[in-house]
Amino acid sequence: MRRKLIDWALTGILIFVPALVLRSSMHRGEPSGFDKAVLRITAPLEAGVSWLVEGIGGMWSRYVALVDVEDENRELREENEKLRKDLAAATRRATDIAALEELAVVKKQTQADTLGARVIAAPLSPQFRVIRLRIDRGDREVQPDMPVIAGTGPVGKIDKVYGDYADVMLVSDPRSRIDVAIKRTGARGVLIGLGQPDSYACKVTTLELASKPELRAQVGDEVITSGVGSVFPPGLVIGTISKLAGDDGMFQNVEVRPAVDVSRVRAVMVLLAPPPPPDPDAKQRKKSEPAFGARAL
Amino acid sequence: MRTATLVLVAYLFCVIVGAVWRLMPSSVIRDAVPDLGALTAAYLGLTARRGSAGAVGGSVALGYLVDLISGAPAGLNAMTLGLTCLVARGVQQRILVRGATMTMGFSGFVALIAGVAGLLVRVFYGVPRAAFSFELKYIALVTVATTIVGPLVWRVFRRIDAAFARTHRERDAALEGLAP
Repeated sequence: MRRKLIDWALTGILIFVPALVLRSSMHRGEPSGFDKAVLRITAPLEAGVSWLVEGIGGMWSRYVALVDVEDENRELREENEKLRKDLAAATRRATDIAALEELAVVKKQTQADTLGARVIAAPLSPQFRVIRLRIDRGDREVQPDMPVIAGTGPVGKIDKVYGDYADVMLVSDPRSRIDVAIKRTGARGVLIGLGQPDSYACKVTTLELASKPELRAQVGDEVITSGVGSVFPPGLVIGTISKLAGDDGMFQNVEVRPAVDVSRVRAVMVLLAPPPPPDPDAKQRKKSEPAFGARAL
Repeated sequence: MRTATLVLVAYLFCVIVGAVWRLMPSSVIRDAVPDLGALTAAYLGLTARRGSAGAVGGSVALGYLVDLISGAPAGLNAMTLGLTCLVARGVQQRILVRGATMTMGFSGFVALIAGVAGLLVRVFYGVPRAAFSFELKYIALVTVATTIVGPLVWRVFRRIDAAFARTHRERDAALEGLAP
């Protein structure tokens, strides 16, 4: 009986102690010194077991559970290829749209009849420079010597027409001649292509050598069409001066880097007719005739 | 010595389960952690040889260690497992846990008792808890998981008991699952 009583008393105490510990830990809110000491003893065991289990789990997931990985890889590769094609097509479309937008702006600014054309071929030199462009407009629409422009400036002139296609002679072609002016100084000259196989450079000849140094052409000056000759409308930016090639006492020689990157041109505009000549009386005020039957005051 | 061995083995199991269950694929399975502490407390209470003090002491010690592993306030699981042990001790004379079905049923019952007791203790002491529905769902998941692993754990405990048997008869009784 006594033994039983002691057992029950001990049991009661053993239940009561955790109750006290719980109350105390709830008040304290952090582990006691005894808890920390026990944790310090048990931590290596827990760390060891965790390391072992995670190592085995990692081995399983990295080396064993790879049943579907091959199929998944194949699917992902196919999807990747399809997405790459879609991306390339979207990029091409975006480039076309950007070119057409630029052409639309040029068309709006150009007071001439124009015809849009798509570039269908661009033969290359051995140094991978475009020699000429072929467009999808034939003899019913275009004729030789018609000027061709892109979004950023003149590209060249129609050279030959074959049935439904036409070749464009680039401004960098040695046969090309365009009357130009230096935008800053107004000095005029003739732009001739250098025909180099590794660049699109042109030169300006018969550029008057001004007596004042500040009125002479300088590197970086913009070269624009002068409008003389009624081929290109005036004011189109052909390029910038990239090099001063000396002078002969009367004329200055300069090299020009064209503004249009013909290797990227996908759509062009052919100017069908020259712009109308400017109205000489445009700025004069005219007194209008009185209407028939109206009484003059 | 027997109680200390059972407690240490149970503690090792708890550490292993804690590490393994984190790697489980589904969140439902991750929530359904078998209550090895309750199983051990029930086994200690059910197989207590003389008085209940030793079994309750072992359960409280295991509960305290589980508190430290799980980050629960010290004393919470200790008290819960002490009470679970007392419940198991109370049914010792009335039921005989033998066979897989009975062991599974008793394991589920013990897990349920421990879950409810734990919830009541937390309510009484104002320990922060989840929504009632979430608590009930958690208790149900733990009960199912404990029911499944119960026979395996009890088999290990019976092996340990058999190792501590003083006679062949005690050893056979321990392996058979007969109360000493």
